[in-house]
Amino acid sequence: MTRVPTFLLQVIASFLAGSCLAQASSSSGEEFSEELQIRPLRDGRVASTFSFRTFLHGATPRSPESLGSDDNSQHYHVFPLALGQILREYAVTELHLSMNAGKWNYDEWGYPGELGVATGAELWAWMGEGGISTVDERWAGLRNALSGLFCASLASMDEQRTTSPLMAFVPEGDLPNWPGPHLLRHASLPSEHVCTENLTPFLKLLPCKSLSGIASLLNPHRLFDADWHGMSVHVLWHANKGVEVGLSFQLVSDPLRQSSSKRRDWSFQSLFDRSIDNRCPVASSSTINVKLPTEEAYSLEPSPSSSDDGIGRYNLNVEGHLPSDIAMRWPSEFQYPLGSASVPLVPLALQRTLTGASQANGHLALRIQNRLNEELRVVYLETMPWLVQFYAHTLSATVDGRKHAGLISNVSYIPPLHHSRPTTFQAILTLPPKSTVALSMDVSKAFLRYTDHQPDAQRGWDLPSAIFVPLRNGSDRLDGHSLGQRIYTPTMLIDLATPDFSMPYNVIIFTCTVMAFIFGSVFNLLTRKFVVVHLDDQHKE
Amino acid sequence: MPLHEPSTIFFQFDNVRRTIIASYWIIIILALPLWWKTTSIERLSLPSSRVRNQASKELRLPVHIQLPGPYLDTTKRSQDQLAQTLSRQGVDVVFTGGHVEGSNPTYILKHGTNGLVLSDRELEYDFSDESKLSTILSELLCPPQQGHLVAPYSPRFRLSFTLLNEDSTSGNYVRSWDVSSGIRRYITPLLDQLSLLHNFTIESQVQYHAPLAFKPRPSRLSSEDLSVFVNSAEWSLSSSASNDPVLHFVGFIPSQPLEMPESFLLPQWGGIVVHDPPSLSVDDVFPIFARQLLSLLGVFPLPAGVKYTDDVPISRWQLEALLRQRTLENTHSSQDTLRSIVTLVDQIEGMPVGWNVKDDILDALNALDKVYASSSASLRETAKQSTNAIALASRAFFNPDMLALLYFPAEHKYAVYAPLFASAVIPVIAAAVRELLAWRRQRQRRQQT
Repeated sequence: MTRVPTFLLQVIASFLAGSCLAQASSSSGEEFSEELQIRPLRDGRVASTFSFRTFLHGATPRSPESLGSDDNSQHYHVFPLALGQILREYAVTELHLSMNAGKWNYDEWGYPGELGVATGAELWAWMGEGGISTVDERWAGLRNALSGLFCASLASMDEQRTTSPLMAFVPEGDLPNWPGPHLLRHASLPSEHVCTENLTPFLKLLPCKSLSGIASLLNPHRLFDADWHGMSVHVLWHANKGVEVGLSFQLVSDPLRQSSSKRRDWSFQSLFDRSIDNRCPVASSSTINVKLPTEEAYSLEPSPSSSDDGIGRYNLNVEGHLPSDIAMRWPSEFQYPLGSASVPLVPLALQRTLTGASQANGHLALRIQNRLNEELRVVYLETMPWLVQFYAHTLSATVDGRKHAGLISNVSYIPPLHHSRPTTFQAILTLPPKSTVALSMDVSKAFLRYTDHQPDAQRGWDLPSAIFVPLRNGSDRLDGHSLGQRIYTPTMLIDLATPDFSMPYNVIIFTCTVMAFIFGSVFNLLTRKFVVVHLDDQHKE
Repeated sequence: MPLHEPSTIFFQFDNVRRTIIASYWIIIILALPLWWKTTSIERLSLPSSRVRNQASKELRLPVHIQLPGPYLDTTKRSQDQLAQTLSRQGVDVVFTGGHVEGSNPTYILKHGTNGLVLSDRELEYDFSDESKLSTILSELLCPPQQGHLVAPYSPRFRLSFTLLNEDSTSGNYVRSWDVSSGIRRYITPLLDQLSLLHNFTIESQVQYHAPLAFKPRPSRLSSEDLSVFVNSAEWSLSSSASNDPVLHFVGFIPSQPLEMPESFLLPQWGGIVVHDPPSLSVDDVFPIFARQLLSLLGVFPLPAGVKYTDDVPISRWQLEALLRQRTLENTHSSQDTLRSIVTLVDQIEGMPVGWNVKDDILDALNALDKVYASSSASLRETAKQSTNAIALASRAFFNPDMLALLYFPAEHKYAVYAPLFASAVIPVIAAAVRELLAWRRQRQRRQQT
């Protein structure tokens, strides 16, 4: 008799659990959309941005308080299970991962479709504090899990590279109102190189893989042949809406390099060597947007189903003919725009160098040009591994060569600790209109232990990009509304004192010989028996 | 300047010089143990004799069967036959006429003519025909081993349900399935009963492109085709979030009808159900998944002809037979593991053994002692201790600290030591020998004079 009530309870409990899940698992609770944006650039190249968004309606991130107990079952249709598991295992609220190869040329290409274009890998996440494991433990687990998922060496973004730069990285989605605070963790690995082994697991996260829909254009042979390419993963939570996962791939290809006619004509065939043969059956929307040139004559085939704001749109999900290959042609040969007459695409021009011939000290120099006709305030963020130490008191700024006070404010500087903590330098710069600000600071370079060196020690160490974020309307509060789009500087190489790695054994032998020689001499002196020898000729005297 | 006779200077006295040489040697001899201690690896002594002793034991689990009084004596032949069969598998059968006190299960046989009816721990059997008694009982109490089919024991399993569409662009595809209702109705009741042995986590996904690794031929698929049916390169089934073993249950929707068995089991991996589109009802697929799950976890099917009518899906007989089997298996493999650790540590001299390894081994031995102590009293306690023992034993076996210096060879050490020590020690030895000879000559001379 006692079994009946418990059995009933189980049924009720499982029913309740089931009905909670039903919201997440019903196919209407998940939505997948894909978009391809193609943008001819003014230097003749073509930028393509693939973005795949999956929405999990009504879902919330896992609270860290619940980490000790078993998680709910996860039932997904189009949401990537492998990523969902990692997010729940480590209770991650917001996650941004980007892996890029090449240097994004802001001057010619403008802002990218996806902001994270730092060379190498960059990972940042917002995680709630509380529960049985600390944020740092979960951050370590997250790095390891992501490096396993994407076959990348993200696991080496350890505490020696992890910072918390709150000024430049604000949550892009919402943060749940949990009892514990949310903490930011950010790390970058400029030497990581994205390649086809990272793309394969990336494609597996897409519901249609690379077999149908827009994703079928993702042909690794062409993607990794491009002048610039990179992929990114974004996980956001929108309150009252749900969890959004955005996967995107960007590339900048150069049609001029492949064409013999000096024309910058492009088509899917020429860019990707593929065409779209099938629609992705689970995509709720599937669009291709082509940015139309405004000044020159061109032809676009087939013609877009709609066009507005200078953008031609193709909707792949409507019945009828599938625009499997889109081609844009120009009647005349491409003339490379010379001179500085062209309109600036980004407000800032950046240049960062590390000078100084010594292996112990150096000099960090930045030139920041404000191209706007108004004063601009920007957040300046510099994160460096502990190899480089800034002397913040030597920080000086000049405007067009003249000393100027009051340019730098809100400085926060966390000095590095050897073998444990990186440098974080954040400040707000006020850039006068139409001017060039030069910043400079002395740095010291670490002297590494023999075992600290990388396998390719002579190459030097990659230093991460500096990040500049323009502030809108001179506002003082730092949040998602006041921050503009991030701009990354190129990465740098630093040359540290490097030993000759064939030497250690010779050094051991040599030192040992000297030691043994000294020991032997002292020992002999102490124990030698001195005898007066009377020579015969002395006797004769 | 007058020339001193050197032997009158104090440090040229024979005694002083000999003291100097002796003090070098004393320091060298005193430093040797310190050098030995700082360069040797920590190798705690393991309780080898206890492990060998434990490993030579064999666990026996008792089973009590209560027969109706009149038949206790008439079925002696079947009783002996059954006892013989089960004793080979580590189970001792005791037949009684009445109830036996204790928490160990007593199975009750009743006389009945309705055929074989199973309920709770009771079985109705028609004693007018004794011939099948021992076969039925041995199949119920100790079912034949299914060998490599059953997944190895693990305290946690992940059940991954995947709906795979071979090619969703071909039109033949299933967009979604009501997986939570399928799990609720067919899987959860089983998991509740099996929670004695394992914890389960469940996940599910749907894939819209899952190409096969081979080209299906128009003829019926052969068993070779089935062995490469799972295309691990293209189907992203595995997940990396935890180390628990995964049992996969795959509902496969082919783009064209395939001539092949509707469902099949891949040993220790999972089960596959091939379902033709367009409609997919969880009531078609999940009962098969449930059957496959039971086979993979080692729950044997009831012997033919046995009727079972209770409302819980797994009968007590099956559950307890599984417990017995897993207990025997776990005890045996933890004994094996412990013995392997001891042998391994004996064989490889450079292998460090730290406190955590030693503690785990001692705890595993204690758990095994408890297994034996409780084996005649409570089956559940025995099962619990045996899972404990195997967890501890394998944790000790896979302890990463044991690999620390395995790849730092002794030659490397000598290559560093030799240039310093060899050249420094040679003068010390030479001085000692020279002094010894001088002392002997001196003594001889003194004797002569």
